Amino acid sequence: MRSIDIHAHVTPQAFIQAMKEGREWHSLEPRPLDIEPELEWTPEQRIQDMNSLGVDVQVVSTGAQFYFYGREAQTIATMHRECNDEVRQMTLDYPERFRGFAQIPMQDVGLAIAELERSVNELGLIGAMIDDKVNGKTFDEPEFLPLWKAAEQLGAVIFIHQGGGTLVRPRTSDYHLPNSVGNLVDRAVTFASFVMGGVMDACPDLKVCLAHGGGYACYGVGRMDRSWDVGRLPQIPQPPSAYLSRFYYDCLTHSETALRMLIDLAGIDKVVFGTDWPFDMAIDWPVAWVLGLESLTQDEKEAILWKNMEKLLGVDG
Amino acid sequence: MRSIDIHAHLTPQCFIQAMREGREWHGVKPGEMRVGPRNSWTPEQRIDDMDSLGVDVHVVSTFSFYYYYERDAQVISAMHRECNDEVYQMTVDYPDRFKGMAIIPMQDVGLAIAELDRTVNQLGFVGAMIDDHVNGKTYDDPEFMPLWKAAEQMGAVLLVHQQGGRTLVRDRNPRYHLHNTIGNLVDRAVTFASFVFGGVMDACPDLRVCLCHGGGYTCFGAGRMDRGWQVRSEARVNIAQPPSAYLDKFYYDCLTHSEPALRMLIDTVGIDKVIFGTDWPADMAIDWPVSWILGLESLTMGEKEAILYKNMERLLGI
Repeated sequence: MRSIDIHAHVTPQAFIQAMKEGREWHSLEPRPLDIEPELEWTPEQRIQDMNSLGVDVQVVSTGAQFYFYGREAQTIATMHRECNDEVRQMTLDYPERFRGFAQIPMQDVGLAIAELERSVNELGLIGAMIDDKVNGKTFDEPEFLPLWKAAEQLGAVIFIHQGGGTLVRPRTSDYHLPNSVGNLVDRAVTFASFVMGGVMDACPDLKVCLAHGGGYACYGVGRMDRSWDVGRLPQIPQPPSAYLSRFYYDCLTHSETALRMLIDLAGIDKVVFGTDWPFDMAIDWPVAWVLGLESLTQDEKEAILWKNMEKLLGVDG
Repeated sequence: MRSIDIHAHLTPQCFIQAMREGREWHGVKPGEMRVGPRNSWTPEQRIDDMDSLGVDVHVVSTFSFYYYYERDAQVISAMHRECNDEVYQMTVDYPDRFKGMAIIPMQDVGLAIAELDRTVNQLGFVGAMIDDHVNGKTYDDPEFMPLWKAAEQMGAVLLVHQQGGRTLVRDRNPRYHLHNTIGNLVDRAVTFASFVFGGVMDACPDLRVCLCHGGGYTCFGAGRMDRGWQVRSEARVNIAQPPSAYLDKFYYDCLTHSEPALRMLIDTVGIDKVIFGTDWPADMAIDWPVSWILGLESLTMGEKEAILYKNMERLLGI
């Protein structure tokens, strides 16, 4: 049994070093490090933990706290290049254990395309992880279309993962709800923005993977369909639910019934293994969790754990 | 087969009359609010439509546009009394077809309790419909506790329903009707969480809260709330059980626009907690709601009857 984790984060060693030495790093002022201990681990320590969890491969993404879309684009483009080079080094040192996602400076679509191109074509990364929004803009904004076209042409996977400040925050910051509800609603809005903005029609081969099981997208699509039924979405030729199978989703639902519903609505070939390593909101024993789910067949478990991801990566022969 | 619809709205005739006559109405200026054709129907026209839909009883709630929690409490209190009196008259004129759901001025908890008390104990209402928040405050705020205690003591049902257009989604993407299609559902999940994580359901074990739109994303998303409760101390300050343990403390209408979602709701919260609700007369309502329920292949006849009327009769004590 193999397992490939699409949702696993890394904090750049270059950043850690700079902070420890009290140096500025791409406009970040030196400050005491306040990160999970695992995020300081070397690749070798990380591999030991992966071994204990039964995870064969991590598709490593530089953490969402490094998006910095609100800062100056050139500065962040340089930061992201350094992040991506470090991820690439992990994939070179341990090609059997690591694949990589890029960070790209979404505040400047031209620079974002350039870095996506470099990361995919020169560094061999599989795509890029991006936020649900860019300085208040959602992905139906026409200014992003060149990026989706470029990603489609590159065969890159666009992995959607919030970067703080979810939609729940203005109502409450208590009880961890900005994460436990906020991540999931942000993902539903991103699904809707791609679909209702016509992006999925304009880019039929675009590969978008929605983290956290796509959030509320699959459960809530019936109400989106209703708004299409009553004529509120004239710009798309099919109801939103027809687009569910156009996306990929990680399995990070924290609920067997929710995962079962996701599989039934999106299709088993669209659900990939993702754990959110090493955060406290991750699945504790992710491979064991998937393998132990009574409502999934063995084939479905294998599809999630590695087969779908191998297809997505084009390594299935 | 009977059917009792807990989610059916009213635009008050007293408001429509004032607007037609060009009169200001409790601070609402003529022309301030648009009224659709079905919203201005008389009770008799409404009953004709209910007959065609196979709906026996509407639990009638004054539309959420009339919450006006941000306006002066005394003015809105008087508005709400007039709305509630009109709903009461409908229940008097057609006792077999209408039950009442009050609107109460949540910006002043004392006035809200007084109007809930009047409507439930004097007018025979089921309870009150309220927003997901009051001027930004969620229901874990201690200032609302006296209201929950009063509602619990009266046996009143609190029906939670957003104010149109003002949900959490609007600030992210104002297009595609998402403030409604996603916004209503996330607002309801946050309200569930506020009641639960805030300790209200523990403090008021007999409080009856019904979450509109099937409780939104609550049942699907409870797994991640549970995980948050497991790993984050700030999620455990008020409750000793994971949030999913509270799912069956609430009632939910059946307005999911999805058979698998409704099936999951039933399986997660229990069939005795799901009641019939249609959102009449909005365009986001279920078109043929009774037929829709009766035609669902994944529900047993016993489950369909529980949803259509049995659960609601139990809730109403009839």
